[in-house]
Amino acid sequence: MFIRGAVLGAAVMGLLPAVALAQQLAPSPTLDAIKARGHVECGVHLGLPGFSFANDKGEWSGIDVDFCRAVAAAVLGDAGKVKYTPTSVQQRWPVLQSGQVDLLSRNTTITFSRNASLGVNFQGINFYEGQTFVVRAKSGAKEPKDLDGAAICVAAGSTEEKTAADWYAERKLKVTIVNFQKNDDAIAAYDAGRCDAYTAGLGALAGQRIKLKQTGEHVIMTETISNDPQGPVTRQGDERWQAVVRWTLNGMIAAEALGVNSRNVDEMKAKSANAEVRRLLGVEGNFGQLLGLSDDWIYQVVKQVGNYGESYERTVGMGSPLKLARGKNELWTKGGLLYTPPFQ
Amino acid sequence: MSAFVYNRRVRDAFWQVAVWAAVVGLIAYFVRNASENMAKAGIASGFDFLGRTSGIELPFLLTRYTPQSSILDLLWAGVVNTMTVAFIAIVAATLLGFALGIARLSRNWLLSSLAGGYVEVVRNIPVLFFVLFWYFAVIAALPGPREAIGIFAVAFLSNRGLTVPTPLATGAFAAAALASAISIAAQFVLAAWVRHRRNRTGRGFPLWTSGAVLIAGVPLVAFAAAIAATPWDTPVLRGFNYRGGFVLIPEFVALVAALATYAAAFIAEIVRGGILAVPKGQLEAARALGLGPGQVLRLVVIPQALRVMVPPLTSQYLNVLKNSSLGAAIGFPELMNVFVGSALNITGQAVEIIAITLAIYLVIGLAVSALMNWYNAKVALVTQ
Repeated sequence: MFIRGAVLGAAVMGLLPAVALAQQLAPSPTLDAIKARGHVECGVHLGLPGFSFANDKGEWSGIDVDFCRAVAAAVLGDAGKVKYTPTSVQQRWPVLQSGQVDLLSRNTTITFSRNASLGVNFQGINFYEGQTFVVRAKSGAKEPKDLDGAAICVAAGSTEEKTAADWYAERKLKVTIVNFQKNDDAIAAYDAGRCDAYTAGLGALAGQRIKLKQTGEHVIMTETISNDPQGPVTRQGDERWQAVVRWTLNGMIAAEALGVNSRNVDEMKAKSANAEVRRLLGVEGNFGQLLGLSDDWIYQVVKQVGNYGESYERTVGMGSPLKLARGKNELWTKGGLLYTPPFQ
Repeated sequence: MSAFVYNRRVRDAFWQVAVWAAVVGLIAYFVRNASENMAKAGIASGFDFLGRTSGIELPFLLTRYTPQSSILDLLWAGVVNTMTVAFIAIVAATLLGFALGIARLSRNWLLSSLAGGYVEVVRNIPVLFFVLFWYFAVIAALPGPREAIGIFAVAFLSNRGLTVPTPLATGAFAAAALASAISIAAQFVLAAWVRHRRNRTGRGFPLWTSGAVLIAGVPLVAFAAAIAATPWDTPVLRGFNYRGGFVLIPEFVALVAALATYAAAFIAEIVRGGILAVPKGQLEAARALGLGPGQVLRLVVIPQALRVMVPPLTSQYLNVLKNSSLGAAIGFPELMNVFVGSALNITGQAVEIIAITLAIYLVIGLAVSALMNWYNAKVALVTQ
């Protein structure tokens, strides 16, 4: 009897820490599944240079791909542990809703109706995009309103399709909008002369431009007709997983704001006297554990992927063929719109 | 009691009811399961979205749809476009397929090998590739709008499509159609009277001349007058493109051409098989009766070959209908493109939209099947 009681007591004692931990953390089936399978399932674009693009070796790169890598670094400590699922404009929602991917990171515009009716949540903004047009230089069109009467190629089901229709209808200008299933089909049709213009985001166009045969004969308009903030998307429910995605993005932006980058992150971790830097990199506090991650989660993100600015410059900025200036995608202290809540 | 259980009709009825109950139950289970899970995941469900404003621009319309119309109108515009493309492609594929099938059986070596080569090449190409090939071939072959090929300075052909004038009023055309109908009916009445008189008195009548006037001449003049009397919306080049008129977009031409030439290769083989299935003795007997080659084909071979050809032809027609969904790849606004493409993305209600689309393809497909089965019954050998 005594022995049996002792065994039971020991078993209860053994279980206690586990029970205590479980009580602290809300259940997160997505995080558990990622840890069990050992990689993050990330929904990306079919192929958009600068954002999500696979080279001839099948290696993915781009600012949206970097975010997938950052999430993998935060959750699993290894940025390489990502499986990419390329999705078309139309496939992306079912792929996310059905649980086939853990998150979407594929230049998807945040809109009210998507948030309200698709069962998805947007976890912040990793790219401030604005819709514009690419036209042939010899057409003489300089601004969107010059396109009165033009045929415009677009991907069906994108925000661009509806924004363009609304914009020209409001100004009583007549355009013919030709909808294609994929961005690449629409670009090919524009290139073949079917349309006078192809419309997409300014950043997306900078990348897609290289798909045109005679790149020099085309110009991208600088005036935009929309605000298209884009960022990672998750399913509704599983709040802890949503927090991981949201704060990974915040962490990348915070790292840039605090001057932490992939080159100095070890030094910062060892020597920084800034309390927020110390909390961010897991030297102080137990922020990682609060989400069920290891405390050095943001350290791993910055070390392996870099801060937001590094990722931007490498993929779409001056260090890339796209050569996009930071513009709105600059820290608020430097005239941009990036602003992150504190790690406190 | 046991007599009741072993009664054959009772048992048949029992199994009928049981299978139906199982099918209905299974569907009800799936519907319930899906709607519960969607509600749990925060995804909107129901069919209310059909009444919402669509806001989608379509480049090719046969209905009165505008971007201010509802999503239901958008769906209908897509259905009409799908049926139009499928119908024209089916007619063209049948004509071309018959010609190819008969050519393949020709004794002329060049003709039969050309037809054979066509069939072998086309049958082994994936249909999507075929559609894209036609699309880019059509666009590449045509000049830009500024260098458009004018047809009598009223219609213009460019890579934006064939722009034709549209009548602004239809009254004159209705009058012309009525006049033509009366005129054609008059010729038939006249022919009946002439036959009657010839039988009685043996006197002839220049029926061919009256026919030329009544069947061809009067309608021609009537429609010419209607064309002249009607105000037209004539396309004019302004800025980027032609304004006004109706545009037959290149996507339409490419899709119809691709579907027709693709299905024609399969239909050619069905026609060849059907003709070869007619026993040789029938041909010899027909020739022995003194029928010419055309008569043998028309009166003996085709009626018997049709019995073999109709069932596989039905499958080909259904394939054309379903393959018309590839229009989505080249930007033709058919059902798949406007509904599963655009509408799905503005509403996000994948389950409802896919279900509606499936149901529509099923209804159109079953209608085609029913029509072909009716025709099959008509041409089938009547046996006792």
